[in-house]
Amino acid sequence: MASQSSSEFEWPVLYNYPPFYTLQTNLDTRAKQIDAWCNLILNYFKYNKLYVLDLTEALASSPLFVNSQLNRILSRETASLILNTLDSRGNLEWQDKEKDRCLVMWRTPKEWGALIYQWASDNAFINTVCTVYELHSGDDTINEEFYGLELIMVVKALQTLQNDGKAQIIQRSNPDMSDAGVKFFG
Amino acid sequence: MARRRGLGAINKEKLEKAKYGEKGAEIADVEMSHVSTQIESFRSYLETFAAKHKNEIKKNPEFRAQFQQMCARIGVDPLASSKGFWASLLGVGDFYFEVGIQIIEICLATRDLNGGLITLEDLRKRVIASRSKTQQQDVSLDDLTRAIKKLSILGNGFKIIPLGGKKLVQSVPGELNMDHTTTMQQAEATGYTTISTLTAPPLNWTTERASHVMEHLIKEGMVWVDQQAPQTRYYFPSLFFDLQPVK
Repeated sequence: MASQSSSEFEWPVLYNYPPFYTLQTNLDTRAKQIDAWCNLILNYFKYNKLYVLDLTEALASSPLFVNSQLNRILSRETASLILNTLDSRGNLEWQDKEKDRCLVMWRTPKEWGALIYQWASDNAFINTVCTVYELHSGDDTINEEFYGLELIMVVKALQTLQNDGKAQIIQRSNPDMSDAGVKFFG
Repeated sequence: MARRRGLGAINKEKLEKAKYGEKGAEIADVEMSHVSTQIESFRSYLETFAAKHKNEIKKNPEFRAQFQQMCARIGVDPLASSKGFWASLLGVGDFYFEVGIQIIEICLATRDLNGGLITLEDLRKRVIASRSKTQQQDVSLDDLTRAIKKLSILGNGFKIIPLGGKKLVQSVPGELNMDHTTTMQQAEATGYTTISTLTAPPLNWTTERASHVMEHLIKEGMVWVDQQAPQTRYYFPSLFFDLQPVK
């Protein structure tokens, strides 16, 4: 759920530039255009604390891709091209083979992991077991940036900590890890 | 009966001529030294004036332009060298040098977007924005024009192209011909033009000519295409963003 309304988001000047919604043929211009789109998507998702993008849905109704004031819409081909660019930059992960659903990672899992670990060590949770649920929806993390973070991102973040030997994920019965726990190491 | 002229008369005439010549030279000398003292004193007045109004010259662009004009009339160019007396006195050389650097930076930073074309007014806003943190100097269009003229010494990279009402600064080498500037004039009010605007009166271009010009401008990165309008629109980012309110 978006905590702030998208109307407060400060759109970049290109958002109101009609040719921004037509893929440019000049390759230098196109590179600049795609770069600007990548930044816009990451900033928009970050501002609204969004994590999952459903392409079909977004192209139908999200103000990100549909500029009703200008009457301009990003085409599916162009949007896919931009999202694939984000993927190659490590800021996006496709969730399905059809490339319709993806995770938009305006912070990389490693960055999230560092934030979670910082919280754990600041609040004396080292060497204790927390549930994954507590991390993203518990009372202790309500003021943390990762509060409300998508479960799949929390798990990815914890996996980076596990790889660094800073935590151990304790899996229970649910395959999506929604009931998993984690132990932080000092 | 004709009067005969003796040797004495000829000699006398010669002597007179020489004397006149001498006198003439003397007068010219006096005149010269008079004029040069006048110029000298004018210069020194100008220097005193400049020193006295140093801050005013630095802060007030109108004052600066008038001072520049005054200097130009007596053949003094405060910008000629940053090492000169004027520069050390006023720091004006440094001022235009700084503005020049800022112009180059802004043109480079926006080049991907606008293909190396920016309106003088837009450039001014950006120069002021990039300076405002440390200095509170106003920079006028005249200052920018002067700084750009100085930049052209570095090569043919920087040019000012007058359109109807606006002036465009071109920061990439390459000739823009009449057809190119004509399309820009057509786009001045809206930021874009269409093929049918160019083929209609008063231009009455052929479609081939219009498309050829647009193709060239797209290739140069000076035009973006918008295919979601009833007719394909060719946008000049330099002109379009000039029409937008500043943030």
